[in-house]
Amino acid sequence: MITFAKWKLAIFGIYLVIGAVFAVVFLAIGIARVDPAAKGSPIGFRLLIFPGVVALWPYLLSRWIGGEHAPRTERNSHRDGSGGADQ
Amino acid sequence: MSLTYGAIGWNRQKKIYDLVLACGIVLYLSLFIGLGAWLNPGATVETLLIRGFGTCALLLLHIVLIIGPLCRIDARFLPLLYNRRHLGVTTFIMGLAHAGLAIFQFHALGDLNPFVSLLVSNTRFFSLPDFPFQQLGFGALVILFLMASTSHDFWLANLSAPVWKRLHMSVYAAYALLIAHVTLGVLQAETNPLLAAALGAGLASVISLHLVSGSREVRADSHSSLSSFDGAGEFVDVCSVDEIAEKRARIVTLAGERVAVFKYDGKISVLSNVCQHQNGPLGEGRIVDGCVTCPWHGFQYLPDSGASPPPFIERVPTFRVKVDGGRVLVNPRPLPPGTRVEPARIDANASG
Ligand code: HEM
Ligand code: FES
Repeated sequence: MITFAKWKLAIFGIYLVIGAVFAVVFLAIGIARVDPAAKGSPIGFRLLIFPGVVALWPYLLSRWIGGEHAPRTERNSHRDGSGGADQ
Repeated sequence: MSLTYGAIGWNRQKKIYDLVLACGIVLYLSLFIGLGAWLNPGATVETLLIRGFGTCALLLLHIVLIIGPLCRIDARFLPLLYNRRHLGVTTFIMGLAHAGLAIFQFHALGDLNPFVSLLVSNTRFFSLPDFPFQQLGFGALVILFLMASTSHDFWLANLSAPVWKRLHMSVYAAYALLIAHVTLGVLQAETNPLLAAALGAGLASVISLHLVSGSREVRADSHSSLSSFDGAGEFVDVCSVDEIAEKRARIVTLAGERVAVFKYDGKISVLSNVCQHQNGPLGEGRIVDGCVTCPWHGFQYLPDSGASPPPFIERVPTFRVKVDGGRVLVNPRPLPPGTRVEPARIDANASG
């Protein structure tokens, strides 16, 4: 029981350590590639999203590998029905 | 509403909001600890702090949960909604303080790593009176963490709105976990009838407010769904000009979604009711400085084009509109977001 709990915690810990290392690199370079609106954003903003980057790093890594593109706009029946290009 | 992200977008209102919040918390904790020490002289400071932070977090969570339905029932509660995310982040911080102290007090004093201890010290999952309620609290804390850490608009944009919303809907799961955490936890400790009563009242108010506001929405939508086309079969009669207050809107359902019919300066303009930011109800907002202003977080749109004033880039779909004999007629086909539409003049048509 105790070994099993230790294993779970160890895996969790490793995930977070990778996340923390990734977050430093991502917030320094990657973020501007993933979301153009984050180019030149202040350090306070980057620190604020740091915990979330540590937690969700696999997702942001996949976005980073996917290359630069602005985030999508949400669809609804008016936007769909208008036939207009959403940015 | 921003070209680049900032840390925290404080303005006067948000500063007042946060100040009230901070003072409220300090007041609550001092009262809780003061009264607790007085009524229960045997209690240690740690115990009082654990209980103070825990109940404070739960109280804040109740406020977070009832703000939404309250605003739907009465617009006077909207200022509470304006900065709700700071309330959510504060809830997490209070919960974290509670959990940190509890883990320290109950699990850090043995030889086991406190987190291993949290997982293994009690595994009686099939016993109600001995259930390891701490793990329920831990689950709730993880959800609150994910919500707090993704509350910045960066996450809304980058996780995409549907994912972000699903994540933030899990606040109800956190709430359920916490109800169980407190019920089982307090069942195991000494029973405190006051806490039980408060919890019951809180649960009842959250559920009933959601039911009331939900049924109102359903009724309002079925009343406002329109199908009476005018002679040409192109424009729909949505309401009379007099039904709309100046610089405000009436909300009706057209083309499968709500639209906001705004009246201002002798003109009528019609926009999709759905704010590009987080789907806030534009029609419940007002025209401020010539712009339709979302009641939720203040994003602004020009009423005739549905576009945010430059340099901002948000845009919502618009609708063709005319006024005839004091009635507002709207073409139900949405135009591409940001399309300028000539507002309908009210005077020119007053005579019919
Ligand atoms: C790892 C996470 C958590 C642990 C280990 C934990 C542990 C505990 C413990 C040991 C108690 C009993 C305290 C006592 O009776 O003296 C308790 C009660 C309580 N917890 Fe938690 N908790 C956690 C998370 C949370 C969270 C996130 C919240 C709220 C947002 C919360 C709210 C409460 C409340 C309201 C009580 C009842 C306070 C009272 O006994 O008067 N807990 N928790
Ligand atoms: S400003 Fe946030 S939803 Fe409209």
